[in-house]
Amino acid sequence: MTATLTRRAWLGLAALGAAVAAWRPWPARAQGHLANLAPEEPIAETMKRLFGNRTIKDGASLITIDMPLIAEDGASVPIAVEVKSPMTAESHVKAIYILAEKNLRPLNVKISLTPAAGQAYVGTNLRLADSGPVRVVAETGDGALWIASRDVRVAVAGCAA
Amino acid sequence: MADIGTVKLAVPGSVRRGSVARVRTLVIHPQERVERQGGRSVDRNYRFVNRVVVTYLGREIAVIEPSTAISENPTFTIPFRATEAGQLKVTFFDSHGVKFEGTAEVKVT
Repeated sequence: MTATLTRRAWLGLAALGAAVAAWRPWPARAQGHLANLAPEEPIAETMKRLFGNRTIKDGASLITIDMPLIAEDGASVPIAVEVKSPMTAESHVKAIYILAEKNLRPLNVKISLTPAAGQAYVGTNLRLADSGPVRVVAETGDGALWIASRDVRVAVAGCAA
Repeated sequence: MADIGTVKLAVPGSVRRGSVARVRTLVIHPQERVERQGGRSVDRNYRFVNRVVVTYLGREIAVIEPSTAISENPTFTIPFRATEAGQLKVTFFDSHGVKFEGTAEVKVT
């Protein structure tokens, strides 16, 4: 009797184990749910979430933002960002954040760079929900933060969500 | 979207040793945006590229974490210091766990 019960318990455990093993990879394949996205929030909240209370210095002389003054289509607005940096192991730009003030989820993209890049540069296309400033924050290897911003007028909103 | 996942890479024909060149890369991908109904976001598993890794000679150059606020068919231009001839590789990962890869040979003079 006990032998049967043990066997049954074993089978139950095995089935449970198989179920767990099968279920595990599922969250990795489903990263697109709202819970995995940045929350809808004003940009001040995003800045706080990303950088806490760290001081952010004015980097207008360091950061060049190349963007059209008037974007015809908010669904695709070209941007190129260059940060002055020697890009050596001691002194380099570790990350570039691009944030759109008027987007519901303000963080567009984060780019992490290594000194092997040789230059702190990135070019991409953004979705912009409305006319407003686009902020670029550069984080250097020693943890210092620099910010620059550019106003962009969007003719047709990009519904960036 | 039959050609979803096609990766394109553009590097200069040849680069002077030690100089900085830029790679332009693109993936054909819908980069779905969050839908809204009655002022609220609809929760479902949106499909968008959320991680891009650029390597050169097997070493990591850049890691990009895009959100849904990057345009359809995401494109990125990333610099790299051409120290030696070799392979430049870009890997796009999307939120459905699918991976798209592209490579280019860098010629150094």
